[in-house]
Amino acid sequence: MASSSKRDDLSGVTIYEALKERGFSRRDFLSFCTLITATLALPSTFVSKVAEALERRKKPVLVWLEFQDCAGNTEALLRASKPTVGEIVLDILSVEYHETIMAAAGHQAEKSLMDVVKNQKGRYIAVVEGSVPMGDGGVYCCVGGRAAKETVKEVCGNAMATLAVGTCAAYGGLPAASPNPTGAVGVTQAVPGVPVVNLPGCPVNVENITATVVHFLTFGSLPPLDSRGRPLFAYGKRIHDNCERRAHFDAGQFVRQWGDEGHRKGWCLYEMGCKGPETFKNCPTVKYNEGTSWPVQAGHGCIGCAEPAFWDRMAPFYRRLPQPPGFGVESTADKVGAGLAAVTGAALVAHGIGRILSGGKKKEEERR
Amino acid sequence: MAKIAIDPITRIEGHLRIEAKIEGGKVVDAWASSTMFRGIELILEGRDPRDAWAFAQRI
Repeated sequence: MASSSKRDDLSGVTIYEALKERGFSRRDFLSFCTLITATLALPSTFVSKVAEALERRKKPVLVWLEFQDCAGNTEALLRASKPTVGEIVLDILSVEYHETIMAAAGHQAEKSLMDVVKNQKGRYIAVVEGSVPMGDGGVYCCVGGRAAKETVKEVCGNAMATLAVGTCAAYGGLPAASPNPTGAVGVTQAVPGVPVVNLPGCPVNVENITATVVHFLTFGSLPPLDSRGRPLFAYGKRIHDNCERRAHFDAGQFVRQWGDEGHRKGWCLYEMGCKGPETFKNCPTVKYNEGTSWPVQAGHGCIGCAEPAFWDRMAPFYRRLPQPPGFGVESTADKVGAGLAAVTGAALVAHGIGRILSGGKKKEEERR
Repeated sequence: MAKIAIDPITRIEGHLRIEAKIEGGKVVDAWASSTMFRGIELILEGRDPRDAWAFAQRI
């Protein structure tokens, strides 16, 4: 933390110098830059620009606020199986305040936070995890005797930018699920008008936090956002469109019961209630835990955790979506799948390889 | 007699406030408060039981 002498020694150095100090080679550094450039959906020609920025830029000061949270996003940040370069980059940001990991407690902790707000006004990054309860004067979340709704106003209001990590901080999330007993809201609603990047997900994907910070350091601006305040590089595409099981959807091959033949073979989870067709996030490519896996790869449908109010809109989680958007008025997944298979079949016939597919399709029809 | 309050308690998951009454250099009484409430029990009411794990595991 800020109080350690090691950290103080590093405070004036650039990110690349700090990485070198931690034993990272030039090669490690450049592969990190390549990974982040890819996550940002930038062409590979930008790798050198990202590298140049990280060689040049000083570490920004960062404060991490926790309100109505489960620390799941903190865990996602801290629980990598080995220290990754991404983790180190976040670690070597000057994290001046983070309740779960900081050494100071009580009024000393609160003093570090207020020192940043006062001395680094307009120059620090605020990260918020958890929703802000507005009900009953804000009594449902108090830190240091102060209501979250007051703290968030002061800290985010004076920050250079705020990252709302996780669906709770972005849109209210679980505490805001019906009947929203505490009047929970996301940061944008709690502090209207301040620059906020929403990084929803339950939990957030750490690569997306890192990429947002790196974008900021490289270009000096926040990444382009969609209408829900989410960076397009991470939330611009539907899960369904990039899903590793998409071919099974198109072929009409669905899991119909947990543990059935289709489930064992890794077929499409749409019939089991997968919300991939209505959810926008880069899970299929970035995944979790250093690209190890993500829910669909593990055999469970997407629950739509990156979408506003998903706890109400996407539940019950095991109910099949009545009608996936973008597929017209077909009433069942079978029709959608078979219809798409027919279209795909026609396209493949045109390429002269139709026979193989039509054989497969016939079998599929016989099976039904 | 003095009363001290440590809030927030850090390096834990969740929000905690500890107040302690000190007499002659010793803690003679103490109070712990959980300073955050979400009402997950209320949110769970009336939902599909198969979804309960997803809500409850976020505690």
